Amino acid sequence: MTSEELKELKVTKTVDARGTACPGPLLEAKKAIGTIKPSDIMEVLSADEGTKVDIPKWCTKQGHEYLGTIEVSGYFRIFMKKH
Amino acid sequence: MANKKMCLGLFTGSVDKLTAAGIILGGAAAMDMKVDIYVLLQGARAFKKDVGDNPDKLQMAENPDMKAEFLQSLKNLKVKTWVEFFKEAKEITDVKIHICGLAGKIWGGEKLDDFIGIADDICGIGAYITAAQEADVNLFI
Repeated sequence: MTSEELKELKVTKTVDARGTACPGPLLEAKKAIGTIKPSDIMEVLSADEGTKVDIPKWCTKQGHEYLGTIEVSGYFRIFMKKH
Repeated sequence: MANKKMCLGLFTGSVDKLTAAGIILGGAAAMDMKVDIYVLLQGARAFKKDVGDNPDKLQMAENPDMKAEFLQSLKNLKVKTWVEFFKEAKEITDVKIHICGLAGKIWGGEKLDDFIGIADDICGIGAYITAAQEADVNLFI
């Protein structure tokens, strides 16, 4: 998805993991995705460079759909759809 | 699909390697892996109640003269302690921590109660080898 499309997504859950280091954002995502319904969209905010690689791989393994990442000032917005 | 299994032979009792083990456990937890940790020789000392999360009682395996900088950097980055990593992984996925009976005795730990609360049982080497044979991922730290 393009950055513009990602910005327009209706996000059900936003996980702010900017205060944590690896593997914090991944674990925050793991905990949070259990609280939303299938097909809901979740966004993870992370200032950790590794997260933008980790989350897509985690989504693939766990069967969720990775939608894309937007880089903003000092952090990343990473979007996924729950399986 | 059944959860993948990880078997970790945890020999180390050094704060840097224990921290690395904790980070790896976090990744395994996020992936819903079933993890069995076998705590061997030096590791058993770190799991003693009078050691655990006390960095003054743990050495660095590498760059020992940089221990203070290492610990400060972890703090600055808000990285959890190794015990906190292990606890968090246990909350998220199926992690069982087994203390080698001989290793425990070497450091004066005879009973499960001598070790920090996250340890599940005391076992022999046969249990480790069996778990290692059955695991999808084997690590030794």
